[in-house]
Amino acid sequence: MTSEERILAAVRLEQPDRVPVDALLTIEPLAHLIGTLPGPLYRDFNLLLEALLRVYDDCPFDIFEAPIPASYECYLLGGGLEFKSPGREFPDNQVIQVVEREVLKREDYAKIAEMGWSRFFFEDYRYRVSPPIKQEDVPRIQNAIDQYASKCVREWEKRGVRVLVGQAPICHHPFFKLSLSRSLVKFTEDLYYEPTSVEEALRRMTSDMIVDLINGCRVSKTQIARIEEERASGYYYPPKIFERFWWPYTEQIVRELWSRGIVTLFHLDTPWDRNINYFRRLPKGSAIIRLDGTTDILAAKQTLGGHLCLMGDVHPAMLSLSNKAEVEAYCRKLISQVGRDGGFILSTGCCVPPNVKPENFRAMIQTAKNYLPSGV
Amino acid sequence: MGVATGEYRLSEPLPTLIVELRKDDVERIVRERIGKGDDANKILEECRRGMEIVGRKYEEGEHFLAELMLAGEIFKSIASIVEPYVARAKTPGTLGKAVLATLKGDIHDLGKNIFAIMLKAQGFETYDMGVDVDPADVVEKVKTVRPDFVCFSALMTTVFDNMKQAAQQLGRTGLRSELSLMIGGGATNATVREYVGADFQSLDAMEGVGYCTKKARGRRVA
Repeated sequence: MTSEERILAAVRLEQPDRVPVDALLTIEPLAHLIGTLPGPLYRDFNLLLEALLRVYDDCPFDIFEAPIPASYECYLLGGGLEFKSPGREFPDNQVIQVVEREVLKREDYAKIAEMGWSRFFFEDYRYRVSPPIKQEDVPRIQNAIDQYASKCVREWEKRGVRVLVGQAPICHHPFFKLSLSRSLVKFTEDLYYEPTSVEEALRRMTSDMIVDLINGCRVSKTQIARIEEERASGYYYPPKIFERFWWPYTEQIVRELWSRGIVTLFHLDTPWDRNINYFRRLPKGSAIIRLDGTTDILAAKQTLGGHLCLMGDVHPAMLSLSNKAEVEAYCRKLISQVGRDGGFILSTGCCVPPNVKPENFRAMIQTAKNYLPSGV
Repeated sequence: MGVATGEYRLSEPLPTLIVELRKDDVERIVRERIGKGDDANKILEECRRGMEIVGRKYEEGEHFLAELMLAGEIFKSIASIVEPYVARAKTPGTLGKAVLATLKGDIHDLGKNIFAIMLKAQGFETYDMGVDVDPADVVEKVKTVRPDFVCFSALMTTVFDNMKQAAQQLGRTGLRSELSLMIGGGATNATVREYVGADFQSLDAMEGVGYCTKKARGRRVA
C-alpha cells in the first residue's frame, strides 16, 4: 500500500497492510531534529520546508496531518493569537509562546455575528494583537502563505506524497477561537452570564467555517478538513455547557462536510474521556479523532472502535524523557490494542515536543513499520 | 461518595450564592455588609466556606473546572473588597505557605492561577512568582518564605530541566526536605514527576489542593 492508501484505509475503518504512522511536527522539533535553532526557521519558510523534508527523508513516515507546517506567516494570520516567537521577539533558541489576554471584548460578539469572523478578523481584530501588522500588509502575507503552500505541495509530489488535509495549518473550532481571543476565564464568564451573545457569534462562525472548509478542500482537491479544539472537553466544562455551546455546532460542521464527502480530522487536546461517547452520534467514518495522551485511548477504542478512526497518542513527555525501549513498548501496545482491527493511525499526542529525543522519534516511526502483532 | 447538596446545609446566603456562582449578588452583599461595619474576617470566612463546598462538589464530579474558575473569580473579587478591612482586624491562622511559579522558558499561567486562587480560598498563604521564573529566584524565595509547598506549573516540555534544576538546587541548600515539591500542567505526567524528583503531580488543580490540605492537616495532628 502507498501511504495515501494506508491512511485512507484507516480512515474508512478498514485494516491497512500495517498501522499508518504520522507525527505532528512544528518548527521547534524540526529544528531540534536537524540540529539547528528554531529562529532561522521562523524567519524563512524555505528553511522550514527544507527541515521537514530532511526529517522525512531521514526517516520517512505516512505524513498526513501537517505536510504544510505552520510558518511564521501562518501564525501571523492563522489563529489571531498574540504570540512571541524565536528569532523575532525571543532569542533563536527559544520556543514559540502564546500570550493569552483579553483581546476580544464582550461587545465584539455582536460584531462577529453581524460581520462573520473573517471580516471581523481582517478589518478589526487582527490589528489589536502582536506582532503588529498593517491592513495593507495582509495581501502580501497571504500571498506568501499561498506560495509556500504551493511549494510544499510540489516538493511532496516529488516524493510521491499527496497532501490530504485541505486548509490552513491553523484551524481552530469557533468555540476555541473565541476562548483564545477572549481568554479562558472571561470566555467562561460569558458562557455562564452572557450566553445568548456567545451563541449568536458561534452560529455565524460555524456557518462561515463550513463554507471555508468546503472551499479549502475544493481548491486543494482534498477530502479531509482539520479542526483543533483544546478547551471544550469535560476537563473544563459540564455537559450542559458542552451540549449547548460545542456539540451542536460541531455536529453541524461534520454533517455538512460529510454530505460532501469530506472527513473532519479533530485535533483534541486535554482529557476528553467524559465526551467521547458524543462522537458516536456522528455518521460512521465521518471523522478522525486525534487524542493527545491525556484521554484514555483504549477506552475511546471501546466506544468508537468500528465507528470512527482514532489517532494518537504518544505523550510528548514520553518522547522527550523516556527511553527508546519504552517508546517501542507503548507503540506496540497501541498497535495491538487500538489498531487491532483497523481504524487507527499511530501518532504523537498533540505535537512532537521541542526537546524530543531523536531516537524516540525514530522508534515511534519504526515500530509502526516493523511491528506486526500476532494474529494479524 | 456523592454527598447530596442538602447535606451541606446551605443556609447562609454568601456560601449559597458562591456555590450558585451569582457573582453580582455576592459582590453587592459583601459591599453592603462592609458598609455596615460587619466583621471582614467573618465575611471572608463565609466565602471560604462557599469555596470549600465548590471544591467538594468538584471532587464529587458535580462541578467542573469552569465552575472552579468562576468561583475563584468571585473569591478574588471578594478578597479585593474585604482585604483592606481584614488588615485592621485579627488575621486568622493559615493552613500553610506555598510558593508557586511557572519556570523559565514557559509563560503559561492559566492552571497555576486557578490553583493559586483555590489554595488561597482554602486558607493557604500563597506566593505566586508568576511566569518565566529563574530556578535560582525560586530558591531565594524559598529561603525567605520557608514554604510548606513549592509548586511548578508547565505547559511546555522544555521546562522539565528547569524544574529538575530547581529541585536539585533546593536539595543542595538543604531546603528540599522541609517542603513538598509539586508539579502540574498539561505537559506533566508520572514520568516527569520522577524525572524532576517531585513529590506530587497532577493535571487537576483540586487534586493538588487536596494534597496540600491533607499534608497540612496531617502536620497539625502530628
